[in-house]
Amino acid sequence: MEEQQQTRNILEHQQGLIDFFIAGSRPIVSILLAFLVSGVFIYLQGKNPLVAYAAVLRGSFGSIVAIGNTCVRTTPLLIGALGMTLGIRGGLFNVGGEGQLYLGAAAATAVGLLPLPVPSWMHILLAIIAGILGGAFWALLPALLRAFRGISEIVVTIMLNFVGIYFVSYLVHEPKLLAQEGASYAQSRTILESAILPILVKGTSMHLGIIIAVILGIILHFVLKYSTFGFRTRMVGANPEASNYAGVKVKYSLLITFLIMGGFYGLMGTVEVLGLKYALYDNFSAGLGYETIAVALLGGANPIGVIFSAFFFGALKAGGNLMQQTVGIPSSMVQVIQALAVLFIVGFGFMRRKSSSYKNDDSARSLDDANKGIGDI
Amino acid sequence: MGDLFSQFDPFLQASIRMAVPLILAGIGTLYTERTGVLNIGVEGSMLVGTFAGVAGAVVSGNIFFAALCAMLAGGLLSLIFAYLVVNRRGDQLVAGFAINLLALGLTLTLMPYLNANRTRAVLFPVIDTGFLKEIPVLGPMVFNQSIAVWLAFILTPVSAWILYKTSWGLNLRAVGENPKAVATAGLSVIRLRYIGVLLGGLFAGLGGAALALNDLGFFVPNMTLSRGFIVLAALVVGKWNPFSFAGVCLLFGAADALQLRAQTFGSVIPYQFYLMLPYLLTIAALAGLVGKTKAPK
Repeated sequence: MEEQQQTRNILEHQQGLIDFFIAGSRPIVSILLAFLVSGVFIYLQGKNPLVAYAAVLRGSFGSIVAIGNTCVRTTPLLIGALGMTLGIRGGLFNVGGEGQLYLGAAAATAVGLLPLPVPSWMHILLAIIAGILGGAFWALLPALLRAFRGISEIVVTIMLNFVGIYFVSYLVHEPKLLAQEGASYAQSRTILESAILPILVKGTSMHLGIIIAVILGIILHFVLKYSTFGFRTRMVGANPEASNYAGVKVKYSLLITFLIMGGFYGLMGTVEVLGLKYALYDNFSAGLGYETIAVALLGGANPIGVIFSAFFFGALKAGGNLMQQTVGIPSSMVQVIQALAVLFIVGFGFMRRKSSSYKNDDSARSLDDANKGIGDI
Repeated sequence: MGDLFSQFDPFLQASIRMAVPLILAGIGTLYTERTGVLNIGVEGSMLVGTFAGVAGAVVSGNIFFAALCAMLAGGLLSLIFAYLVVNRRGDQLVAGFAINLLALGLTLTLMPYLNANRTRAVLFPVIDTGFLKEIPVLGPMVFNQSIAVWLAFILTPVSAWILYKTSWGLNLRAVGENPKAVATAGLSVIRLRYIGVLLGGLFAGLGGAALALNDLGFFVPNMTLSRGFIVLAALVVGKWNPFSFAGVCLLFGAADALQLRAQTFGSVIPYQFYLMLPYLLTIAALAGLVGKTKAPK
């Protein structure tokens, strides 16, 4: 009897390990397949994909400057994707990161422009707090609509992205507000030196943001895994009805998760301004907020996985610039690779609701489960 | 503000023109959602439709070939979505999101090839209605429009008829309402859902083509600017009924047209606030309507 039990335990343990490796290898296989398909696409454009990918590698890890660029590109992707991860775990699909990061950046810029009689670290801290609040503020309306009126966040957040981008555009065009007069491209005045994040390695653009981002990732990992807040968030994400019966205030949980997620995106915009750009530009993010969603999904919506996934895509973006300069393939190819990787991972069954079986009525049933609340967009 | 409305006829005409890409895209998406699938990738299908439409028009100089290219591109993209969601049972939000990202990346990457050829693309021709276009207000608004606009006028009642009066339309609606019953009745749920998604992609592509080839004749990066999502919202507000959906689209078209006119005329309010209009209107419409509609499942 005991022996049987032991064998069973060992078998289950092995199965667990196998599952672990399958789960861990899916993103890697997806990314490899994405590179393969993109390679064909690059070849069709008359370029050698190997030469193109070699340029990506040189541009991301070829020198100290290149590594610095990789870290600089990783930072915003990682911060945003961590927010997205929290959201996905809490049952939210926030497509509004783009707008939230614009508002965060605007708030941080406003504070960064103020000549405050405080030490530099204090000025930076105040700007960061303003940025986080700015992002959370932009998440407030969709959060309230979702939590208390049951309107899905997808369309509302997308619409608010545009409102936010145009609002920032107004801010950087209006001299009475943030705009720098006489600039060739609409931008705000440059933030004060005391609000600028310190550079970590001289001669590169690597700034403190990367450390903040990685620490945030580790904190989020522990918070999600071990804290009551993390448990409640995951519970609401997994099954809101059951959470309700268990006495969790689902509406407030959704609201709080959404606002914190907005705060992450606000911080993302803040770090871009304080660490890299030193001013707010019209249209400065160009879709970075959407890319964080891909980063979060490829990281398996798991903070540690997201750290790796963000570094990977940061490197790809840093190298993509060199690829554009030397091989002549537009750096938007990076978005194609991201999209393909996510498509492959969906095909491999990430976030699939039920085990596979292809019978007709079974398909009907499982889609039904997957699409709960579809019309409430 | 006096300036703004001094030319009321062009404003009305533009309202309809701006509504047409939404209506065309939505007519197909209506079928998708009636089969119980939510495809947010309709934005991506619209975008590649815009691109392929302009590319087809530039290459061939034939507007019908251009429209065909646009529909094929949009349809192809939606088939990828259908495979992932219907066969592989992937998460439809994630799949749709990735489709949108793919469409954006592909069109940006291929853009240089399009601009290398700087000829302006052919447009959807305006149909000459003779004396009808002399009618005040209604004349310029309705009877002096391009073939794409007429297509939207015609397809709205046709799709309503198919959906409500044919047995095939009943099957489609049934898949959304009760897929198990449909499966029990011996119909293929998978096939009906594929058809729904494909129709959505084909017409989203056509809507995209209408966006670029009604009056502009060129492509700009991310040209659709999330109009696909406005379509999804308009379907909710229009309660998945072709006629009320088209009505809602006209409202969004008017907001778009107002924004365009405000930009050209200039006003006290900064132009950025006019640009926000269609998006704010979408949020207001959704927020004002909650709990009153029941979605097809």
